[in-house]
Amino acid sequence: MVDVVVPPVRISVGSRLAVRLRRFGEVAREVLRNPATVVGLFVIVAMIGMALLAPVLTEANTPDPYQMPRDWGALNEPPGTPGFPLGTTSHGGDVLYGVIWGSRTSLRLSLIVVGATVTIGLIIGSLAGFLGGKVDEILMRVVDVFLSIPELIFALAIAAVLGPSFRNIILALAVVFWVKYARLIRGQIIHVKGNDYVDAARVIGDSRFSIYRRDVLPNSITPIIVQATLDMGHIVLVGATLSFIGLSEAGLAEWGVLVSDGQAGISAGRWWASTFPGAMVFLWALAFNLVGDGLRDVLDPRTEKR
Amino acid sequence: MTPSAKPSPSPERKPLLVASVEDLAVHFQTKSGIVHAVDGVSFQIRDEETLGLVGETGCGKSVTARSFLRLIATPPGIFAGGRILFWSREARDHGNKPIDLLTLPLARLREIRGNRIAMIFQDPGKSLNPAMPIREQVAEVFYQHRSAELLAGLNGKVPATIRRHARQQTTVAERLLMRVPPLRSYGRKLRTRVDDMVGDALAETQIPNPRKIMASYPHELSGGMKQRVMIAQALACNPDLLIADEPTTALDVTVQARILELIRDLQQRRRTSVLYISHDLSLVKRICDRVAVMYAGRIAEVGTSGSVFEEHLHPYTRGLLAAIPARAHTRGELAAIEGTVPELVEPPPSCRFHTRCRYAVELCSREDPPLRGHAGTSHPVACFGYESANEWHAGPDGMPDLEAPTR
Repeated sequence: MVDVVVPPVRISVGSRLAVRLRRFGEVAREVLRNPATVVGLFVIVAMIGMALLAPVLTEANTPDPYQMPRDWGALNEPPGTPGFPLGTTSHGGDVLYGVIWGSRTSLRLSLIVVGATVTIGLIIGSLAGFLGGKVDEILMRVVDVFLSIPELIFALAIAAVLGPSFRNIILALAVVFWVKYARLIRGQIIHVKGNDYVDAARVIGDSRFSIYRRDVLPNSITPIIVQATLDMGHIVLVGATLSFIGLSEAGLAEWGVLVSDGQAGISAGRWWASTFPGAMVFLWALAFNLVGDGLRDVLDPRTEKR
Repeated sequence: MTPSAKPSPSPERKPLLVASVEDLAVHFQTKSGIVHAVDGVSFQIRDEETLGLVGETGCGKSVTARSFLRLIATPPGIFAGGRILFWSREARDHGNKPIDLLTLPLARLREIRGNRIAMIFQDPGKSLNPAMPIREQVAEVFYQHRSAELLAGLNGKVPATIRRHARQQTTVAERLLMRVPPLRSYGRKLRTRVDDMVGDALAETQIPNPRKIMASYPHELSGGMKQRVMIAQALACNPDLLIADEPTTALDVTVQARILELIRDLQQRRRTSVLYISHDLSLVKRICDRVAVMYAGRIAEVGTSGSVFEEHLHPYTRGLLAAIPARAHTRGELAAIEGTVPELVEPPPSCRFHTRCRYAVELCSREDPPLRGHAGTSHPVACFGYESANEWHAGPDGMPDLEAPTR
C-alpha cells in the first residue's frame, strides 16, 4: 500500500469585485437571451451614440448648438434635397440636425430627471420605509398629495407657472416623478425588512444603518432599476408632450418642439418635419420599454424561474 | 435568589445559571385588543445545558426566545413586565451582577448580540442575505465583535483607516484610498486574515470546501449547507448562549439529524448553553437536558427531560405525548387534544388550559395556577391538580397513553 498524499487545494476566494462581476454576468446573459431586449438595447446604444457624436455627425450651430440652425433660403425642402437629407422645416431648420441634436436634448432630459427623481425617491422612500411610524405617516401623506394630481397636468401646471423654457420642463418633471420612486422603494423596503436575514443581521449586532446599507437596500433596489429604465423612455415622451404644447423655448433642437413646428404643414403634404422627430420619440420610448421589460423579467422575483 | 449576587459558600451550590427569565410578559397591541402572547413566563437556563422550550404554534415560545435579544418590534410589541437576566461567562468569573437584557441600552445590547448570545432561525433559506456572498455574511460577525483579532496579524502601527475598516466603518473615500499603495498592503493582509477566520469558522461546521463556499451566494447552496453557514456565523464568537429557534424544521429528515449532531458536538466542545425551541417532542426528548412546556403564553411545567417525558404531570403535556403516533399505530384516528387554543386577547385569570382539560374543576376557571413544585412532584408544574398530592386519576377515557400519577 502506498499512501497517496493529496496536496491541499487552495481555491482562491475571488475578490469582492470578481464575485459581483460574476453575478452581473449571470444577469446580463439572462437578459440578452430575450431578442426583444437585444433589439431595444441596440436602439438605445445607437441613440446614445448619436447623441454623443452629434458634433461629429453635424456641424454644431453657433453660438448655441441646441438651437436649430436656420437657412432662410431653404424653406420646406422635402427629404433628399442636397444638404438636407431629411428635408427642412417651414423656418428653414434642418430636420436631420434636429433629429441628431434632439437625441442629445432627450438624453440630457431623461438622465437629469431620472437621476434626480431616483435620488429624491430613494431618500424619502428609505426614510419612510425603514424608520416607519410617524416619519412614514407624514412622508406618505405628502406623497399622496402629489399622487392625487394627474402627472401630466401637474407637470404642465408647474411648467406653465415657471414660464416656457426647457430647464423648467426638467424641473417640473423632477417635481412630479419622484413620488413614484418614493412609493416604490418604501414598499420594497417594508417588504425586505420583514425578512429573516434582517433579523439575523440584528442578531449578530449590526447597527441600523449597516443593516439598511448591507441587507435592506441591495435587496430593494431591483424594481427601482427596472422602473428607472422604463422612465428613461417615458420621461422623454412626457417631455416631448410638454414641448409640443409650447412649454419649451421656440427653435430648440428638441423632438417635441420639432413635431409641433411641423404639424401645421402636414395638411399641406409636408409630412417630414413632424414625422422624423416623432419617430425618434417613438423609437426612444419603445427601446427603453423593451429593455425595461426584459430587465423586469430577469430581476423581478415574481417572474423568477430559478 | 440569584447565585452570583449572593455567592453562597455552601459546597452544594445551586447550578450555575446562564440566563434567568423572570415573570416575562410580552404583549402585542392589535385591533381586537392587547394579546398576551407571553404572560408571566419564568425559567432558567443552566450553564452548559440544553433547555428545550416546547409548545404548539402560537404558544409564545418564539416570542420568548426573541425577547432575549429584543427582536420584538415595539410597537406593536410591548415588554409588559419581568426581566431576563443574563450572566456572561466573563461577568460571572469576575463576580459581576447579571445584566437585564430587557433594560440594557441598545448600544450595549448590540455588543451582546452575536457575541455572547447568538441565534439561529428556522428557515436557513431566508436567514441569509441573498444579495451578499457567504464570506461577507460570516465576516460581519468578526467586523462587529472581533476587530482586534482581525488586526492581530498586522504588525507595527496599524493606520487608523485600517482599524476602522476592520469594524467596517470606513467611508467610500477611505475604501478607495485603500486601493493605492500605502494602505493597499494592509488592506490585503486584513482581507487574508478575514478569509482565514471565515474559512476556519466554516470548516468547524464540517462544510465541504469552505473556501469555495465563501465565494458563493446563498442561492447556490443547499438548505443544509445554508444552516451550517448560519451555525458557523452564530458560533463564530463562542457565545455563552445559543438560541436555536426550530433550526431543523425547514430541513429534510436526513439533513436534520446531521445538523442536530453538529450543534450538539459544537456545543459540547465550546461549553455553550442552548435554548432549543421546538414543537417536535421526540426530538426535544433526544437532545435536551431539561424541558419547559409552554401553553398559551405560560409555562405548564419545567423539569429534566426524563421526568417531563415520563411523569408528564400537566394534563397538557400528557395530551401532547398521547398525540404522538406510536410506531405500532398503523391506521385510523390520531389522538388529539380536544378544542382549540384560547384567544389570548386580555385573558381573564384562569388556567389557560381549563377549557380543554378533562380534569378541570371550578377553581381552574377562576384562578391562575402558579408554577411551583407541588407536593409529591419532582418538577414545577402549573396545575391545581397537584395542590393535594394526588387527588385525581385518569378516568376510563379514550386517551391511549394516559397514566395516573402514581405517587
